[in-house]
Amino acid sequence: MTSVNRKWYSGMLTQEDWWAVWLGLFFFGLGLLSIAGVDLVGWAVYPKKWVFNVPEGGTGSISHAFYALGSKYSLTAKAFYKGLGWWSIIWTYVIFTIATCIGAYCMKWDLKRYFVGWTIIYFLTIATWFVGHHAFFAANKTNWHKYGLNFALSLGGGASFILALIIGLIIGNFFKGFASYLSEAAKPEWFIKTAIVFLGVKVGYLPIKAAATSAKLGHQMADLTGHLFLAGAVATIVAYMIFWPGVYLIARRIFKLPRKTAAVLGSGISICGVSAAVATGGAVRAKPVVSIMVSALVVVWAVIELVVLPGFFTHVWPGTSDPLVAGSAMGMAVKTDGADAAAGDLLDEFLRNKIEVETNGRVKWPEGVITTSAVMTKVWIDMFIGLWAFVLAMVWVYKIDRRPGETVMASEVWHRFPKFVLGYFTAWFIYLAIFFLNGAGAPEGMHVLKAAKAGAVPVEKGFRKLFFMLTFMSLGIITDFSKLAEAKFGRMVWVYFVALFLFIIPVAVIIAYLFHHGMTIPNIAG
Amino acid sequence: MAAEKSQGALTGGQYEAEDVLADAEPWDPIETKLVVWSFVIAVVVLIIGLFIVPTSILN
Repeated sequence: MTSVNRKWYSGMLTQEDWWAVWLGLFFFGLGLLSIAGVDLVGWAVYPKKWVFNVPEGGTGSISHAFYALGSKYSLTAKAFYKGLGWWSIIWTYVIFTIATCIGAYCMKWDLKRYFVGWTIIYFLTIATWFVGHHAFFAANKTNWHKYGLNFALSLGGGASFILALIIGLIIGNFFKGFASYLSEAAKPEWFIKTAIVFLGVKVGYLPIKAAATSAKLGHQMADLTGHLFLAGAVATIVAYMIFWPGVYLIARRIFKLPRKTAAVLGSGISICGVSAAVATGGAVRAKPVVSIMVSALVVVWAVIELVVLPGFFTHVWPGTSDPLVAGSAMGMAVKTDGADAAAGDLLDEFLRNKIEVETNGRVKWPEGVITTSAVMTKVWIDMFIGLWAFVLAMVWVYKIDRRPGETVMASEVWHRFPKFVLGYFTAWFIYLAIFFLNGAGAPEGMHVLKAAKAGAVPVEKGFRKLFFMLTFMSLGIITDFSKLAEAKFGRMVWVYFVALFLFIIPVAVIIAYLFHHGMTIPNIAG
Repeated sequence: MAAEKSQGALTGGQYEAEDVLADAEPWDPIETKLVVWSFVIAVVVLIIGLFIVPTSILN
């Protein structure tokens, strides 16, 4: 290992990793100002499901297909943000263009090309988001009638991710000159790391959100949320510490893959897909193509899981007898946040419908509990991205990459540390502190928590989803399958298939059963 | 330095089609340690978790 004279702060203004932190924390900070009564993030654009012809008494007007999140959540500027409507697209564009162009300038990219590329990618992403929220793609079975539909694909927000990836892949594979031009702004690594910092806001905000839910459903609900929080944490640690070495073994011993490729695959299949693959790729210094291949696989297989698992868990096993086992297993098995949340939501709809039918309406479950169980394990798994990337960086620096007679500077660990994790933990802990310092859901502190929520939602929901969309689109744009084919992509597909269906999903179900079996959801019928 | 910068990145300009599935290194004892210790941690956390988590199958 060559000794490079780098300071601890090297790259703070020139690396994508750091710029994900700056970008993420800047908007996180803007969101926090809501506690002081200033809402500076309510302009965040967000899509709604829509149809061309709204049925009588139904919903989904195309004129409301985009709205500013502040129009729903702001406490101080709701009227102003209500007036933005579709203009929130432009507000979001202008503000993020300025922010990302500053980053691009500092990173010494071709600013003109970045600006043009970013503009094209942004509006393509928004157009895809719009199409993906047509009720035919996104509406769940229980809502079809509201949009005047007899059938829909029921993919939830996952439809937009799939479409973004497909459109990106079409550009990347059939319009290669255009893709090459856009590559200056197609930065999936930057976008996903920024989205992960926004995810930190989501994790920290979760107890605040749960406090509001508990107030509605009483102590029973609060206990359930607490139990899900603890059971999810332990189940996730156990699952992950079995997943990663298991997949690594399969990849290395059965499929004879090189170490770094096996490590990235292990994280991609075990943890949270794309972001884990990127973080591990950075930690073990894998070649860029490895993270790209694994990320592409993760996205494609997550979509397949999204289609297969909710139906399987509802109609085959465990069904309505153990709904939270199903939700928790979903969180451990589906490898992208978007696909997991969509699958959890679908499962929630399926199981709530099923229990009502089975009991002739005598049992009704509140909406969202099963989704929460799926998201809870996912959130814990998300936290492992940084921790495991750090552990792997240590192992690779001190044990695997180290050669006889060579010394490794302690600072190398810091340089390999995925910096975006700092932004993720900062956002998480600060929101957690806000929760505990303001009564942890007690009535006297609820006004502060509500104010915090107004600033957190546009960040954790609007910005995070937008950056996930940008990631999927950019990932497609820079992915050239002809090159992946040259790299024997097909073999990796088989590793993923074997690991996912014969190892990950069965283990996830067993562990979910061990920690969630018998948990019941409060009955709200009558 | 340039090579160092490109590693682990997904950035388009750094994309290269390389056969990253070939030339697997021989299994190293450190890999055995990594795998075994991961499983050991899983078992320890599982046992402790089954006792302390109120909703576990043991409780």
